Amino acid sequence: MSVARLARAAAITVAYVLIVAPIAVVVVTAFSPTDFFVFPPPGLSLRWFVEFFRLDNMRGAFLFSLEVALIAATVASVLGTAGALFLARRRGAFATVLQGLFLAPLVFPTIILGLALLLLYKSVGMPVLPGLLFAHAVVGMPYSFRTTLAGLQGLDPALEEAGQSLGAGPLRTLALITLPLIWPSVLSGWLFAFIVSFGELNTALFLTGPGQTTLPIEIFSYLQFQGSQLVIAAASALQVGLIILMVAGIERIVGIARIVRAR
Amino acid sequence: MTGDDIDVRLAGVTKTFGAVAAVRDVSLEIPRGSIFSLLGPSGCGKTTTLRLIAGFEQPTQGQVYIRGRDVTDVPPYRRDFSIVFQSYALFPHLTVAENVGFGPRMRGVGRAVRGREVAEALALVKLAGYEARYPRELSGGQQQRVALARAIVVRPAVLLLDEPLGALDKMLREEMQVELRQLQQRLGITAVFVTHDQEEALTLSDHVAVMRDGRIEQVGAPRAIYERPDTEFVAGFLGASNFFDGVVVARDTAGAEIEVAGWRVRMADVTAAVGAQVRIAVRPERMRLGGPDAPGQPATVREIVYRGSTIHYYLDGAAGPILVHRQNAEPGAAELRPGDRVRCRWAPESGVVFAPK
Amino acid sequence: MTGRRELWRWGLVAPPLVISVALFVGPLAYLFYVSLHEVSPSELYGSWSLASYAAIAADPFYLLIIRRTLVTALAVLALALVIGYPVAYWIAKLPARARSLALLALLFPLMVSNVVRAYGWAAILGRRGVINTALGGLGLTDGPLGLLYSPEAVVLGLLTILLPYMVISIANVLASLDPRYAEAAQALGAGPIRTFIHVTLPLSAPGVASGLLLVFLLTLSAYVTIAVLGGPQSKLLVSLVYDSVVSFHWPQAAALAFTLLAIALAVSGAIMAVVRPGRVQGGRR
Repeated sequence: MSVARLARAAAITVAYVLIVAPIAVVVVTAFSPTDFFVFPPPGLSLRWFVEFFRLDNMRGAFLFSLEVALIAATVASVLGTAGALFLARRRGAFATVLQGLFLAPLVFPTIILGLALLLLYKSVGMPVLPGLLFAHAVVGMPYSFRTTLAGLQGLDPALEEAGQSLGAGPLRTLALITLPLIWPSVLSGWLFAFIVSFGELNTALFLTGPGQTTLPIEIFSYLQFQGSQLVIAAASALQVGLIILMVAGIERIVGIARIVRAR
Repeated sequence: MTGDDIDVRLAGVTKTFGAVAAVRDVSLEIPRGSIFSLLGPSGCGKTTTLRLIAGFEQPTQGQVYIRGRDVTDVPPYRRDFSIVFQSYALFPHLTVAENVGFGPRMRGVGRAVRGREVAEALALVKLAGYEARYPRELSGGQQQRVALARAIVVRPAVLLLDEPLGALDKMLREEMQVELRQLQQRLGITAVFVTHDQEEALTLSDHVAVMRDGRIEQVGAPRAIYERPDTEFVAGFLGASNFFDGVVVARDTAGAEIEVAGWRVRMADVTAAVGAQVRIAVRPERMRLGGPDAPGQPATVREIVYRGSTIHYYLDGAAGPILVHRQNAEPGAAELRPGDRVRCRWAPESGVVFAPK
Repeated sequence: MTGRRELWRWGLVAPPLVISVALFVGPLAYLFYVSLHEVSPSELYGSWSLASYAAIAADPFYLLIIRRTLVTALAVLALALVIGYPVAYWIAKLPARARSLALLALLFPLMVSNVVRAYGWAAILGRRGVINTALGGLGLTDGPLGLLYSPEAVVLGLLTILLPYMVISIANVLASLDPRYAEAAQALGAGPIRTFIHVTLPLSAPGVASGLLLVFLLTLSAYVTIAVLGGPQSKLLVSLVYDSVVSFHWPQAAALAFTLLAIALAVSGAIMAVVRPGRVQGGRR
């Protein structure tokens, strides 16, 4: 029994080290005062953050990523919420197919989706920003759809019927009863869609263009072509910081248990 | 009774879900100012019938009328009704006053008038002063009252009640039954009440419809339903019944003689001809017990269950098991022991005779 | 009439449906169409041809890469399952609050872009990285070890990304299992190990299946992780898709993408057939 316990403790340690170590190393390195990578850093400094915002391409990529994530998450939320409202009380083959279609981008190899969209965009002459927005809306939609659907399915159907019995038509029932009751689900769906868009690589790899690059792709091209400069540690740390804010936001809104279940 | 007095009418309504018929060819009329109960075991179609009146479900066939208007194709929010759900379905994000005021608000009633209506409705359910509370801050009984206030404040043509007392404990439930009845009579509201609790249906209703497999088995006043059931199912579903199989051996204007397990009983109201196989249903409280030398069917006491105000006797008779209820105060009720030989009988008008299926 | 009352609901589903068809199903159909053509030097694609698929089937280089992709994916799956299951089991047994925190610690890194985590591993494994610095400092090695740009580095990087999916899938199923199943088994005389093998493990099959599927599918398309940690020597199938795009060989890229999809479908089917998650449906509380 103690061998089993030991093995389990080892698995837990290995798992958490594997998962946390790379992020921890990056975040610590971002505060390094040195010119090159030294671990652990000999002191603390914000010079690489300053450098990050001084570099046009980095700052531009950060702002571009923010813009894309904000708009794409909003579009994804509207689409996902509409789909969830439609499917929440529906059964049957058509509903099953539709649900599968709306959830498919979750497991579909996104790099293939990126390639398919690239070809489509090339044929129709789609500009970079809307093209990327659409791609991230498609990738983010299942997150909004799933959390909103779960919220709706946890709602007593009698509430909507009570509204109707008192004379509220479908739209007023939606506005006065359904949405006020499920908005935490809608909002956490939005935050998930934002986070996914903000870190997305596989479609952005093909769909970004010169001067219009997202932060993850900018980091990637630095890694590929300019070696491991410490400014990308700062860029990465900003990524991590923004997500910490987001997760704290979700936690405040829906509670930790909901975040964990929603994924 | 003219058509003007009918608040709800179903005409040949059938509802199927896929291949399953939940409601089959149901027709009924609910007179103004009465409580009409839909009673039956789960899955009998009573809730579906209620939802058809509300418009939450669309009939596959037939028409639904509310106050003489054909509402079959009218969506719920344009029908003149309100509903109290078993779960109450109080809007958790709205206060008590906002919940009760929701219906008037949807009807475009101004803020001032609305406030007065809400206060009146809350006073009727004895919840004045609870306006600013949220539903989660109320007890189950209080939530029930808010749901009721929300439903009556709009003065609906018909109030639908979907097992509204099902979530309350026994004491509170009986108290609410009385209150609900008083409120309904004071306001003259027409109400349709769905329940699986036969006692509740008998207590509250002016009319009871017993449903089974999507059909109405019998409609009538509580007393008629209980004492003169049309079918074996109704006799068995409302309270307990003893059933005896027998053959009609003689008849006259007053009734008939029926032979049950070699023993002759007289029954009133028999339509079957001489020689016909029949089945007799007798309520346990209508059975009379006597000593071994008294007249009646011989039986042996198998088990005695003491229930406080009543005592239940399980007997083995020649025609099968017999259940007898006696008031505790009845003389001699407490003196029987298991194994005692007794005789049991009943008056000719105390039972009902069916042609067996 | 029912139709008119339902009309506004169709208005709800129209936008997501249109977007899903126009920007998901449609482009994939177009991609498949493109894959059935020759590579053209000037246009997106040339005339009808199965040449791209034929090239994949005939070229030993492609077959080597496909084999390497499968071996890497299997290694990641096996490691993720062996490490992930005990962790999931431990998490499922934690009290609710601690369980949420433990899951959040797994979930949070999942939200950080893969490129950040790939960079983290590069910083740890690189020639001037954490490990080489530490080993060199201790005088254990003469000069840095070539840890980066190896198949092992790719497996490590993928594991980092995908382990949380495995743990969370299994932990969610285990946590929602009715504890009375295990109690019933123990009451019937099964010890802890037999209870686990005969009751808990089969009941967790849906979690294991969804964990394996997620890990496998994400392994196939994790291009950036593979590129950063594998370098040019450890390419997988997805790297070839990217390379074809960069060289504008669209039909070839499309054919490789559908080869990747075919492998994804085949292995997903195999996972479902082996784990059979359907057999314990209704076992959850």
